[in-house]
Amino acid sequence: MGGFRDRTAVAGVGYTRFSKDSGVSTLTLACEAVLAALDDAGLTADDVDGIATHRVGDSAAPALVGPALGIHEPSWYLDQFGGGSVSHSVVGQAALAVAAGVAETVVCYRAINARSEFRMGGTGRGLPVSPEVQYQAPYGYFAPPQQYAMFARAHMSRYGTRPEHFGALAVVQRANAAKNPRALMRTPITLDDYLASRWIAEPFRLLDCCLETDGACALVVTSAERAADLRRPPVLISAAAWGGGDSFLSGGRADTTVTSAAELAPRLYRQAGIGPADVDVAEIYDCFTYSVIVQLEDYGFCAKGEGGPYVASGAVAPGGELPVNTHGGFLSEGYVHGVNHIAEAVSQLRGDAGERQVAGAEVALSTAQPGYILPATSALILRKG
Amino acid sequence: MRPVADRDSAEWWRRTAAGEFVLQRCDSCATPRFPTRAYCHRCRTREWHWEPVAPAGRVESWIVSHQPFLAGVSEPYTVVMVRLDEAPECVMYGNWRGAEPPVAGLPVRACFRKVDEELSLIDWRPLG
Ligand SMILES: [Zn+2]
Repeated sequence: MGGFRDRTAVAGVGYTRFSKDSGVSTLTLACEAVLAALDDAGLTADDVDGIATHRVGDSAAPALVGPALGIHEPSWYLDQFGGGSVSHSVVGQAALAVAAGVAETVVCYRAINARSEFRMGGTGRGLPVSPEVQYQAPYGYFAPPQQYAMFARAHMSRYGTRPEHFGALAVVQRANAAKNPRALMRTPITLDDYLASRWIAEPFRLLDCCLETDGACALVVTSAERAADLRRPPVLISAAAWGGGDSFLSGGRADTTVTSAAELAPRLYRQAGIGPADVDVAEIYDCFTYSVIVQLEDYGFCAKGEGGPYVASGAVAPGGELPVNTHGGFLSEGYVHGVNHIAEAVSQLRGDAGERQVAGAEVALSTAQPGYILPATSALILRKG
Repeated sequence: MRPVADRDSAEWWRRTAAGEFVLQRCDSCATPRFPTRAYCHRCRTREWHWEPVAPAGRVESWIVSHQPFLAGVSEPYTVVMVRLDEAPECVMYGNWRGAEPPVAGLPVRACFRKVDEELSLIDWRPLG
């Protein structure tokens, strides 16, 4: 194994402001984040020959962003249909394209007006395109918080996971966001605040759920060799993995407390040549509190069923054995569909995360939606160059 | 919200509207499957038949939905995920028709909710 281990790198990250109403198009957001990421890397749009995004029909395509930025000859592009489960696969595919020599400098972006224009699962938005929806929506069941709540409840029933475990994570991530100038929600909360927040779909309260955000985030992927000569310290892509063959509805996956990440994780670690104990910081897809808890188990940081107590023990807080979602995550920084998690991992490995820096961070895990809604998932291991 | 049937599922919805509780059963390896689709995920053949199964199962999980996601629906309401007794690898969703909240593992029975001549939905209530 090894594949393309450490052959490519993230050389730049860029953000727009996060807000509840950007007032601009997703095309404008995409351009702004891409230009910021290029500037961070010390490059310009003239250097770009690859463009990639993921979206669900809610955002500007690479074929719009390229012309808008005068990227005259893209030699590679990717317009990946999909939500949070494919967020990390986009960077993985960019790394493959660079490693294969098809492109030299790829920009990966996600631009989203998820509050002011296209609310995920929100009222007025069309239903997801999947045949499984017809068996669910007639019962008023189709929104992501409902779906995740269903699986969270199964975990609670099986393993005794408690609301206080979910709450402990929400409290930690808010405290992290308080140290992040980009974060939308920076006022600290207590466990009592969590428990007092209103129901969305029991067992989930408001503070179990991600924010709905307008904003964009972009990354520049290039060869490790080239990244070493650019403006910022390179962050190597040690591993990228794709996963998810069996779904809960198809009959292929009977245990509702295990996700596709459990099958992906060994391949991911093998590709990077490390194990979970080597991970210094983890930016884990937190569409809901429970998605972090189940992934802590499925990525091997604690035993199955122990995710709740592991969080409540303080292990995932700053100074703990595995600081998690140091930017505040979707729960408190903002919801940019996974790309902001990768960008935060890059920041931690560069050592420029300011007040929220994890001391000595050299290896980071970042993960996508673990495969509860459709079975696909993806993840990256990044390493200080 | 009315289900939007597809070419794989239309017959299942027609049978459900007629009061039948059926799954597909693979002719080759006998694996039951739901939702309906052409190929058996286990042996990858496409010969199958409809088979009536007991409209009974156990609660796998449930939610109580409070946030208004749909116009014309009154919250809160309870959605259950049920694992079928005679096809334990298959789960179905439905609304809860019990007086007490569901609990994990509770034995339940399907009840048909007739919407009109062309559509019935399947809800669940405690056994007995
Ligand atoms: Zn078969």
